Amino acid sequence: MNVIRQTLDRVSIPIIAILLGLAASSFFVALAGANPIDAYQRLFCEGFGPKGCATFGDLIFVQAEQEDGSFQTVFSPTYGAGGNRLALVLEQATPLILTALSAAVAFQVGMFSIGMDGQFVLGGIVAAFLGYWIPDQIYLAAGVTDPETASESLRTIMHLVVPLLCIGASMLVGAIYSWIPGILKIRLNVNELISTIIFNAIAVQLVGYLVNFPLRSDMNNIARTRRIDDTAWLIPFNRGIFADIEWFSGARLGIGLIIALLAAGLVWFFLWRTTAGYEQRMTRGSSLFARFGGIPSARAALRAMLISGALSGLAGALYILGVERRVVDGFATSGTGFEGVLVAILSKESIIGILLVAPFFAGLNLGAINFQFGNLPRQLGGIIIAFIILFSSMEDFIRLQLAKLTNRGRARRRDKTPGEAAV
Amino acid sequence: MKGKSQAMTSAVEMRHIRKFFPSSQVLASDDVSLEVAQGEIHAIVGENGAGKTTLMSMLYGLIPPDEGEIYINGALAHIAHPHDAIRLGIGMVHQHFKLVPSFTIAENIMLGIEPNRGGFIDSKAEAEVVRELANNFGLPVNPNLHVRDISVGMQQRVEILKILQRDAKILILDEPTAVLTPQEVSELLSVIRKLAQTGRTILLITHKLLEVKEIADRVTVMRRGQNVGTYKVSGVSVRDTATMMVGRAVTLQVEKTPAKPGEVVLKADNLLVAGAGGIPAVFGAGFELRAGEILGIAGVSGNGQTELVEALVGMRTTDGGTITLHGTDITHATVRTRRNGGLAHIPEDRMIMGLNLKTNLDENVVVTSYQHEPYSERGIFNFRSIRSLAQNIIDTFGVRSARVGEEIKTLSGGNLQKIVLGRELKGDPKVIIANQPTRGLDVGSIEFVHKTLVQERDKGAAILLVSVELDEIFALSDRIAVMFEGKILAVLDAATATEEQVGLLMAGGSLEHAESEKAQE
Repeated sequence: MNVIRQTLDRVSIPIIAILLGLAASSFFVALAGANPIDAYQRLFCEGFGPKGCATFGDLIFVQAEQEDGSFQTVFSPTYGAGGNRLALVLEQATPLILTALSAAVAFQVGMFSIGMDGQFVLGGIVAAFLGYWIPDQIYLAAGVTDPETASESLRTIMHLVVPLLCIGASMLVGAIYSWIPGILKIRLNVNELISTIIFNAIAVQLVGYLVNFPLRSDMNNIARTRRIDDTAWLIPFNRGIFADIEWFSGARLGIGLIIALLAAGLVWFFLWRTTAGYEQRMTRGSSLFARFGGIPSARAALRAMLISGALSGLAGALYILGVERRVVDGFATSGTGFEGVLVAILSKESIIGILLVAPFFAGLNLGAINFQFGNLPRQLGGIIIAFIILFSSMEDFIRLQLAKLTNRGRARRRDKTPGEAAV
Repeated sequence: MKGKSQAMTSAVEMRHIRKFFPSSQVLASDDVSLEVAQGEIHAIVGENGAGKTTLMSMLYGLIPPDEGEIYINGALAHIAHPHDAIRLGIGMVHQHFKLVPSFTIAENIMLGIEPNRGGFIDSKAEAEVVRELANNFGLPVNPNLHVRDISVGMQQRVEILKILQRDAKILILDEPTAVLTPQEVSELLSVIRKLAQTGRTILLITHKLLEVKEIADRVTVMRRGQNVGTYKVSGVSVRDTATMMVGRAVTLQVEKTPAKPGEVVLKADNLLVAGAGGIPAVFGAGFELRAGEILGIAGVSGNGQTELVEALVGMRTTDGGTITLHGTDITHATVRTRRNGGLAHIPEDRMIMGLNLKTNLDENVVVTSYQHEPYSERGIFNFRSIRSLAQNIIDTFGVRSARVGEEIKTLSGGNLQKIVLGRELKGDPKVIIANQPTRGLDVGSIEFVHKTLVQERDKGAAILLVSVELDEIFALSDRIAVMFEGKILAVLDAATATEEQVGLLMAGGSLEHAESEKAQE
């Protein structure tokens, strides 16, 4: 009973926030001259729905056309046929999960670091560069002139080692890039919010420069780096083990998601089951209490910053090695890291919450990208997300109103049974 | 004023008030009725968690009662919010002051009701209003001082002026003397008397029965959410009141045998410690603490005691001098090294330093030992042993209403302090540094803390007791050190020292001075 009430309590606020966010955005939809309900059906269908999705109902069951031309009712989330967007949602959610975890770890030591963007793009560029540079060096050392002719065993070994090296390097770079604001905070009391914002700007400009000049591979209209070697590629499911399953066919969803889920489990274990996680949570809860108990708070804070940076670096590496396979100009300004921060805030740093909110965000983004409805601009997705965040930050207010409503209900019920209230 | 409490209508009448907190399953007010006459000083006494503050919070509109009615000056009142209470002439001074440190006294008093000229705050008029108000009530303040720069006693005065400016006729004072020095206490009591003489009604929540005896007309005793009875103060003894509060007989004196001091375990020599703003707060203080004794440090609060304690436990840097624990120099050691060396610390502020109220009981009891087996192995917690540690503390220290794995923020002050004691005394510490260990506690809890400290002493622990309560210093100490302006002025044998001697030293007098004064009497 208690568990149900607690879960209900925890879930009710985000759901109310989402509904309020949609309601408030309706104003802007109506302003553009569209029916909000129709617009949202469209948005959610484009974000989460299967092929042919047109109504909210289609998000759950849809009439699927069979080969013989007949129609059959199918459960939408499992409906493959190259039409389901859920695989795509998960593909896009993977980096969000990791950057949100990154933000959560930093927040849970009381560091309001929002440097995920900078760490993410640096992690990405490092993986993109090493993804072809390391194989080049190995081929050179092995005397292979054309990678196609390399022996099968060499390629197998490389396929096991190269991605690991790239990921490791990206995580290291992310960690270092996060450690600097950490040490600045601890030694010189530099506000970590400001320093991470500046570090983000530096990283974004640096990656933009690298893509446009030293690492630019060809004279393609949009600057881009060389494609990573096949041995560095984390082959997505639709090209690898699940090539036959239709459900995966539309997305470059791959081992990255599994790594992200694993990371979520590890972060949870770290925060709630280890002494190091305890140290950082106590430091955040009451710094005076932590000092009183002899907890090495500065060390805990730096450790958290390192872990946080490594997670964002990992996000960048997985995105490049598994999805994009190269850095294209504009990658640096995608804002994936910052969206991770929003996911972490909206889910209140709860790991389960992050795993739920990240796909939700990814779906909204997808829906907004493919959104074509009357005169409505694509920015609608952004407006909705902004409103949802606004309303979830009004948690206390919503809670108060809820309490008032239930109290009033209780009072009314009591009034209906006269005599009981009078003492 | 005493005994002259008859009036036509009661200033406050609360009838059959009931309040249940579902979150903590506590029935804080169980059919409580209370009647307070106009111009009366009415004390409300009871243990921590007896429901005194809850009752007064309902009167002030902070918490809505579940059932019952409140009458103010004979008329039924609906008090849903402090605004309503203020409109009805009710003012409350909370235990923890609600002032803005960076504002001046005048700005704090006039907050929200600033006199303005063309939309801008008229600071001169503000200061003038406050000065006049202060003079009218004989509570002199300098309106232009910043609240962060004034003493706790002065802050309290500002709080009182603040509610008087809002024309309060009924004043609720929640534990007003808990944070004051003896001098400030007697000043406050005379202020309260003066206010009652102007026809104002005073509701005084307190633990200190001697103060009740000294000042109140009537006293209401609360126990576990119930009104045990309202009595004329002149007709009931302190001992009887204490018995009613606790529900059993209490020994106000601590029973202890003479100390058997052993070797010196903690030694501080010529300490130099900076306080807030880098100004030296401890200035050449030194002492020797032996096993099996309680050394009391007496002094008016703000004379460097906090800084001394923080330097001893390692929470504050020592700028000069040495601290030795068992012959090892620990002057610059970390908190953890000192704790591992057998040092325990019962801090001044259990709410934000001694405990982390944002987390559960288990994580609170393990803060000093989490990195050791069996509580963790190779950095991973063993929750079973932590839970059994928590249960053990609940059982041995009788922490009522605390449960393993659950939140502690709803527990009463006494129970919270028991948790702190349980954690700190676990594993038989060699040195216990107790800073104001009974501040804000009720009689029963004070008795418990005192007994526990004496027990630890008898087991051979060396105890440094810092307290601004002279009664406590005299009740527990074997030797008394008096601290004044960052120095230890003298160390006296508790058996022969007198309150007058110590009091004089606390005010900065010398021992010779104290003795000559004694001789004159």
